[in-house]
Amino acid sequence: MESRHGRLIGRRKFLQAGGIAAAAGAAACTRPRLLPGPPGTAAVAILRASSYQADLLDCLRRGAAACRLDVRGKRVLLKPNLVECERGGVIHTQVDVLAAAVELFESLGASEVTIGEGPGHRRDALYLAGEAGYRTGIRNFDARFTDLNRDDVARVAGFDGGIYLARTALAADLVVSVARMKTHHWAGATLAMKNLFGVVPGALYGWPKNHLHQLGIDRSVAELHHIFPRSFGIVDGIVGMEGNGPVQGRPRQCGVLVMGADLAAVDATCCRIMGIDPDRIEYLRLVSGRGHVLEQHIEQRGEAIAKVRTPFALIPKFQHVRLA
Amino acid sequence: MPNCVESRLALLEAAQNPDGGWGYFAGKQSWLEPTAYALLALGDEPRARRAFDRGWRLVRSWQAAGGGWRGCALAGDPHWATSLVVTLHCTRGIWDEPFGSGVDWLVSSSGAETRPLSRLAHWLSPETVEFNPALGGWPWEPGTSSWVEPTAHALMALSRAARHVRQGGLENRIDVGKRMLLERRCRDGGWNYGNRRVLGADLPSYPETTALALMALDGHTLVEWGDTLTHVERVWQGSASPLARAWLAACLLQYRGVRPVSTGPCDTGDILVAAVEAISWNRVMAA
Repeated sequence: MESRHGRLIGRRKFLQAGGIAAAAGAAACTRPRLLPGPPGTAAVAILRASSYQADLLDCLRRGAAACRLDVRGKRVLLKPNLVECERGGVIHTQVDVLAAAVELFESLGASEVTIGEGPGHRRDALYLAGEAGYRTGIRNFDARFTDLNRDDVARVAGFDGGIYLARTALAADLVVSVARMKTHHWAGATLAMKNLFGVVPGALYGWPKNHLHQLGIDRSVAELHHIFPRSFGIVDGIVGMEGNGPVQGRPRQCGVLVMGADLAAVDATCCRIMGIDPDRIEYLRLVSGRGHVLEQHIEQRGEAIAKVRTPFALIPKFQHVRLA
Repeated sequence: MPNCVESRLALLEAAQNPDGGWGYFAGKQSWLEPTAYALLALGDEPRARRAFDRGWRLVRSWQAAGGGWRGCALAGDPHWATSLVVTLHCTRGIWDEPFGSGVDWLVSSSGAETRPLSRLAHWLSPETVEFNPALGGWPWEPGTSSWVEPTAHALMALSRAARHVRQGGLENRIDVGKRMLLERRCRDGGWNYGNRRVLGADLPSYPETTALALMALDGHTLVEWGDTLTHVERVWQGSASPLARAWLAACLLQYRGVRPVSTGPCDTGDILVAAVEAISWNRVMAA
């Protein structure tokens, strides 16, 4: 085949040759492994919740207690995943989980509980919030909400010479990533850490935030993790998304909420529940020196992973991340 | 003047910041995008002359060395909303040196997907994201890929500017940009942010980007306008997004000369929505 670029070999042959070279290269060097992480262990709570009709506030309270979460007097920003929204679908964080999180943090004595998101594809964040049921299902939602894409910004270190981020997120005492458990067709999985892409302002970086893709999704996830050490993760795995996530996958009933203050540990735990090897998720490997990813360094509370493990379907290019 | 337009103009006047610019919401820091839209909306209002002049001075002070405009006071890099400033100059009839260098910057700007390494990556795996990398549009940010919305704004700006400036490559750049938009059209007939098919799956269009792409295509012969505008009107009637409705109405105003009468809530507090609803797009596009 002669391509439009005038090359005389076919793409398939080119790829095969590249594959052989890559395999030889891989054999010649050892793939970097997970680092041990900081001293001590990280607590991650796994709570069963069979449906969104369950007492989610009670689940979250038990999880918060298990993680010894103390937010008294703190300004808390809840960051749901609203990258897009399909009414009744599983792209976004379920309203019931976000509403329960508002109640949880208020009941724990936070001085302020706000909600912020900067959707990745569409500009009308408040409309998306309405479609997701947030404006009717969450008390005082409009007063709590900030569109992080169009917020005031401040420049912070990181990302090769600095990046502008939403001031509302930077000013919070605690950023709580309230994500949905989903596969991701570029990163393998999108959980509490990847959800922080929403604090990057579209007003400067666009819709989508291509800046992060150009730098590398994995590296960008790791950079944001470094910028927000005061964070907490709640992953909605009651019904997740499998296959061609984060937008076009299928619902996957998993029946869990996963919580913890170490987002790397939360994400690694979610991966193990989803049947994904955290060691093969590049952004987890990148943050493994700063967070706990190794199973022996994560103090699992609540349910055991083995009891709730629910393998999520993976697209062909991510079959290699399947947990053995 | 319809009441809804009057109320939008009043909101814009009230929301101007002390530095002369507008934020995306009242009380927020000034950004180039809402400021340019506000000036496009207020430009014909005699009563808003002082507000316009203050905003205009701020915008002119934000031009960067290379000809593009900064997105806000804090950011030094040229911003995609340079397109809006070029359009603003066209509507004011100002064809001076800052305008010319803004046009030059826009003409020289293109998406990163046209670069050799990106094209090689696409050639090796064309089904990952299906598009023609030879057709470069405009990026949100220099050094990144082309997307529908910044491309639409750049096309609108350069199409207006082309009537007033001689710039080598301008007509060709407009032609390639329009072909890029046509090539990124989703299977359902509209446009989303700019990916029509990823990993073998068709992606759906969005109403707001569909409206913008159609405005930028400016009567292109490869669009079946009758059916398309009927579809736009239907989507406008059914959309719950104020921003989408504003852009769909702007599209209908451009092509039909009549703005559909809005029955939705009057003010959302969103400066962008208020401005897009108040701008006389039929006049802007004809400027």
